[in-house]
Amino acid sequence: MTAIAASQQSRLGRVMKAIGILPVVLIITCILLALYEPRFLRTSNLINVLRNASFLAIISAGQMLVIIVGGFDISVGAIVALTSVSTALSMVGLSTIGIESAPLIVLLGCLAGLVPALVVGIVNGFFVSVMKISPFMVTIGTMTMAAGIAGYVTGGTPIYDMPELFTREIGRGRFLELPYIVYAAAIVLLALWYMQTQTRLGRYFYAVGGNEKASRLSGLNTRKYIWLAYILSALLAGIVGIFLTARVGSGEATLGSTLMLESISVAVIGGVALKGGVGRIQMVALSAIFLSVLSNGMSLARIDSKYHIIIIGLVIIIAVAAESYRENRRSRHV
Amino acid sequence: MNATSTGPGEVISPGTPLVEISHLDKSYGAFKALEDMQFELRAGEVHVLFGENGAGKSTLIQIICGVQNYDSGEYRLFGETLTGLTPAVAHEKGVSIVFQEFSLIPEMTVEENLFLGHEITGGWRLAKSAMRAKVQSVLNRLGFKLDPAARVSTLRRAHQQMVEIAKALLWDCRVLILDEPTASLTDQEAAQLFDIIEQLRDEGLGIIYVSHRMPEITRLADRITVLRDGKYITTVNQADTSEKELVQLMTGRSFDSFFPQIARNPGETVLTFEDVTLQSGHAKNLSFSVRRGEVLGFAGLAGCGKSEVLRAAFGLEKIATGRITANGVALEKHNPRKALSSRICYFPSDRSTEGLAMHQSLTFNSTIAALDDPVFSRRKTLLNRRAERGFTEKMIDKLKIRTPGLTAKADQLSGGNKQKLMIARGLSREFDVFLFDEPTVGVDIQAKLEIYDVIKTLTEEGKAVVIASSELAEVMHMSHRVIVMREGRIVGELDGEAVTESAVLSHFFDHDNKSQAEEQHAS
Amino acid sequence: MSEKTQAYGIDLRAVAPHLLLPLAILGVVAVFAMLQPAMLSADNAVNIMKQSSLFFFVACAQLVVIITRGFDLSVGATVSLVSVASSMAMTALLPSIGAGASIFVGVVLGLLIGAAIGAVNGALVAYGRINPFVVTLATMSVFTGVATTISGGFPIFNLPDAFTFAFNQMTILLLPIPLVIAGLVAFALHFSLTRTVHGRVLYVLGDSNEVAHVGGRRVKEHLFLAYVTSGVLASVAGLLMTAQTGSGEPNLGTSLVLSSIAAAVIGGASLRGGTGGISAPVYGSLLIVCLSIGMNLQQINGSLQPVVIGAILVFGAALDAYRTKSR
Repeated sequence: MTAIAASQQSRLGRVMKAIGILPVVLIITCILLALYEPRFLRTSNLINVLRNASFLAIISAGQMLVIIVGGFDISVGAIVALTSVSTALSMVGLSTIGIESAPLIVLLGCLAGLVPALVVGIVNGFFVSVMKISPFMVTIGTMTMAAGIAGYVTGGTPIYDMPELFTREIGRGRFLELPYIVYAAAIVLLALWYMQTQTRLGRYFYAVGGNEKASRLSGLNTRKYIWLAYILSALLAGIVGIFLTARVGSGEATLGSTLMLESISVAVIGGVALKGGVGRIQMVALSAIFLSVLSNGMSLARIDSKYHIIIIGLVIIIAVAAESYRENRRSRHV
Repeated sequence: MNATSTGPGEVISPGTPLVEISHLDKSYGAFKALEDMQFELRAGEVHVLFGENGAGKSTLIQIICGVQNYDSGEYRLFGETLTGLTPAVAHEKGVSIVFQEFSLIPEMTVEENLFLGHEITGGWRLAKSAMRAKVQSVLNRLGFKLDPAARVSTLRRAHQQMVEIAKALLWDCRVLILDEPTASLTDQEAAQLFDIIEQLRDEGLGIIYVSHRMPEITRLADRITVLRDGKYITTVNQADTSEKELVQLMTGRSFDSFFPQIARNPGETVLTFEDVTLQSGHAKNLSFSVRRGEVLGFAGLAGCGKSEVLRAAFGLEKIATGRITANGVALEKHNPRKALSSRICYFPSDRSTEGLAMHQSLTFNSTIAALDDPVFSRRKTLLNRRAERGFTEKMIDKLKIRTPGLTAKADQLSGGNKQKLMIARGLSREFDVFLFDEPTVGVDIQAKLEIYDVIKTLTEEGKAVVIASSELAEVMHMSHRVIVMREGRIVGELDGEAVTESAVLSHFFDHDNKSQAEEQHAS
Repeated sequence: MSEKTQAYGIDLRAVAPHLLLPLAILGVVAVFAMLQPAMLSADNAVNIMKQSSLFFFVACAQLVVIITRGFDLSVGATVSLVSVASSMAMTALLPSIGAGASIFVGVVLGLLIGAAIGAVNGALVAYGRINPFVVTLATMSVFTGVATTISGGFPIFNLPDAFTFAFNQMTILLLPIPLVIAGLVAFALHFSLTRTVHGRVLYVLGDSNEVAHVGGRRVKEHLFLAYVTSGVLASVAGLLMTAQTGSGEPNLGTSLVLSSIAAAVIGGASLRGGTGGISAPVYGSLLIVCLSIGMNLQQINGSLQPVVIGAILVFGAALDAYRTKSR
C-alpha cells in the first residue's frame, strides 16, 4: 500500500522533472525580450526566429539520437556543407543532361544530394559500432574529410544555376505564412516523437545508450541501433543542408560551419545526457527555440555578434552545471 | 508464441531431458574456465549448480543461455544439437535467465525493462495497454508490489531483483535459470520466491538454480551438480547427500585442513565505531571495536550493510551521526587519505573499479597508496623508482604473484594474482588495521590459501584484521569474533567457541515478525 | 625472480608498436623526398623543425588531459586569446617601457592567461564534476569570443622586433629557438609524467578515479592541475605562434583543436585514459607536420589535405581500438 502512495508522489515529481526549468526560462526570456524590445513580437521577426529554430531543431534531433546511444556526431556541420555542394552539383548536372522538368530536377537533385550524407552516416556508424572506435575520433575524421572534399569539389567558389523552383519557392516561399522549413521541422519532430514514445526502435535507442551490455543480454542487436543512429543523424544533417542551400541560393562548402557546436549545445541544454540513454525530442525542440530566441534577442538589442558566442558558452556551462548539481543531489538522496 | 512443435509453453512430461551438455570445453586465453563439463537438466526438477566463486558456474549458465559460446563439446537443448546460440534465439526457444549482475536499463521504467527486446506491438505501434495488462498479471502472480511505471534507477536493490525475476517469467519458458536470486532479498521475499519456484517446477519447468546457501539448497533442490575449478565433480540427489559431503565435494578437502589456525592475542583497541549511522542509510547504529592481534568477521547476506561498514571505516561512506575513532583519535571529515595516514588499509571487493588500475603496471598499482612515504618519494613529489621496483620485486616473491614481468599490466594477471597484487599495497607502508572486503571473490583455491596465509601472518604480527565476506565458511573459520548484520543493523556478535554455523545462520534469518514490520515501515 | 621473468630478450612483438610511428614518419619523408627533392633541403628541414615544434606544444597540452581521460577543446581559444592579449600588451607598453620590459610583460601575461583558462576548465571538470567535453566546448566558445572582442576581430601588428627574433628567428647552436624550447618542455613534461608523484597519479586516475581515491590521492587537485598545465602549454604555443606570424591573430588557434587531439592520439595516447607518454606528441606532431609540408611542396590542393589528415585520424583511432582490445 505504502509503495503505491510513494509512486503517486513520484508521479508528481516526474511531471515536475518532465517539464523542467527550460520552458520557464524560455517564457521569461520571451517576456523580457518583448518588454525590452517590442520589435521582437513582430510577425516577420517571429517567423525569422522560427525558421532559425527549425534548422537548429532538425540537426539537433540527429545529434540527440547519437548522444542517446552514447556517442557524438562532430561531422554534422561538414555534412551540411557536403550536402549543399552535392545537391547543387546534381541539380546543375541534371539540367545539363537535358532534363527539362524543374520539379523532377529538384526531386532527383535532392535525393542525389543526400547520398554523400548517407555515406558519411554509414561510415561513422560502421567505425563506431562495429570497429568500436571512439565516436569522437571517428566523426572528427569524417568531418575533416567531408569538409575537405566539399572544398575541393567547389574549389572555393559557390555553385549557382539551380532551378528557381528550388531557390525561390523552397528557399524563400511560404505556405500559410510559414516557411517550408518549419513544416519540415514539424514533420521531423513529430516523427521522432512518435518513434521515441510509441515504437520499439525508440525504446531500443534508449536501452542501448542506457546499458549496452544489458541490452545485448536482452537479445538486442546493439550494433544495429548504434549504426542506425549515426545514419539518421547524417540524413537529418543532409536535410538541413538541402534547405540551407535553397535558402542561400547556392551550393557552398562553408555552409553550416557553426552547426556542429550549436547542435551539441542545443542537445546539452535540452537535457540530453552525454552518458547516453536520456533525452527527449520535445526538450530538444524547446532548446532549439530557446537558443534562437536568445541570439535573436541579442541581435535586436544590438549586442555585437562577437559577444554571442560568449553568452552561448556561458549558457551551456550554466545548463550543464545545473544538471550535474541536480544529479549529484539526487544520487546523494537515493 | 507460435504453433511449431518445439514452441515454448507446451506441456512436457516430467523427466524429459531439456538441457544436455557433455564434454564441453571453454577457455579464455590460457585460462580454462570449463573443462570436460557435463550437465543435464530434466523437465520438472530444480537442479542446483554448486561450487565456489570461480568454479565455472557462471560460464556454464552463460553458455546455456547463449551469452557465451563454447570451444568444443556438445550442447543439446530440447533434443537439438546447437551451435552459435545467441541470447535472442535461446529466449525464443524458451530459456529465461535471471542474472546475478543486473541486466536492467536504469533510466527506463519497470515495464519498459520487462519487455525489452520483446515488446508487444500492434503494427508499428507499441501496444502499451496490452503490455500493462500483462505486466500486472505477472506481478500479481508473483505477488510483487511494484509500480510498472517506476524508473528502475529509483528502486531499491531488492525491488530491482524482483524486476529481474519478473522479466524472466514474463514469457512462457521451459528452462529457467536463477543465478543467486536471493542475494538481496529479505527472508519474506525469498520465501515467496521459493513458493513460485516450486509452483513452476510442478508445472514442468526445468530450473537451474545457482547458489551456495545451504538452507535454500536443502529446501529446493532435486539434484545437485558440483563444480570445482572448471571441472565437473559429480551430480547427486539431494535426498542422498548431506551438507558436509557437499562442502567437501566443493572444496575438495575438509574445513579443518583448509583454513589456517590463527593464534589469537587480543591487544589494544585500534578502531572503534560509536553509534555510527551512514548517510546512505545502508547501515545504522553501529557500535563495535577492533583490536590488535585478532580477526573480526562481518557476516550477513549481500546488501546487509557489512561492506558499507568497512567502507565507512576507510572514509568511503559518509557518516550521518556517531563517531569513528582510530588509535584514540576521532576521524572527522573522514576520507581515504586520512584513513591511510591513520594506518588503516582497505582492500575493496570490486577489484576492477576500485582496487586496481587495470591498465597500469604492477609497480604503479603496488605503491599507489604509499607515494607519500619517504621510502618511495622525496618530499612527496619526486618518485624513488628504484625503491618502487625493489618493493614490487620483493612482493612478487613474497606473495608468489605469477606475472610475465614487472611491467605487465594488472589486467594480465589472473583473479588470484590480482588480489595478491592488491594485498601487496597493504604491505607498502605501516598499517595497524587491515579491512578485507570479500577477500577471496573470484580467486582460485591456491591463491585463496595464500591469501589466508597472509591474513594469518598479519594477525599474528599483532595487526588488527577485519573481514567482511558473503562466504559463511570463510568468515566463520577465519574470524575470532563474528558480527552478524541484517538490513543495516548489527543483530548479533559471537565470540570464540560460540562461532558456529547454526548460531550465525540463526541471526541471518530472523523469523520473528518485528523486523518485517520495521521493513514495511521503512518503505 | 625478476631477472628470470624479464629475460625474454627482445620480444619483437613488444618492440614493433614502438617502431611503427618513427618508421611511418621516415616513410612519409622518404616518399615526398622522392617526389620532390626540396623536401630534404636545409630550409625545409628548418621549416619542419619549427612547425612541428609549434604544433608540439598544443599536442602536449592535449596529452596531459587525455591521460586523465579528458579533452581540451579550448586549446585553440587559448592560443588565440594569448596571441591577441599579449600582442596588445606589448604594443601598448612598447613606447613607454621599452622592448625588453614590454616583451617580459607580454609573455608573463600570456602564460597567466593560459593558466587562468586552465584553472577555469580544471575547476569545472574536477570540482564541478562536469563532462570535460562540455566544459571545454563552452570555454572554447567564451574565450574565442573574448579574443575577437578585445581585438575587434583584426590582427595586431607592430610587435617588438626583438619578440619575433627571440621567440622565432634566433638559433642556438644552429637549432631554431622553438625547437630548443620544445626540447626543454619535452624534457620537463617527460620528467613530471614519469618521475613525480603528480605524473603517476594522472595515469592512475586516468585509468580509474576510484582507484586513485582509494589509494589516498587527492584526485581533484591533480585533475585540476592537469588542466592548468594544459592551459599553460597552450599559451606557450600561442606566444611562439604569434612570434612566428609576427602579429597577434584572433583566430590563430581555430584549426588547432581537432588536429592537436589527432596528433596526441596518433602518437599513442588513448582516449580511454591512462596511457601515452612524451613520445605521443613528438611523433604525432612530426607525422602531421611532415605530411602537410610534404603535401604543400607537392602542391596538393589545400582542400584535399584535410581529407588525408582525416583518413589518418580514423586509421590512428582504429589502431588505438585494436591496441586496447588486445590488452
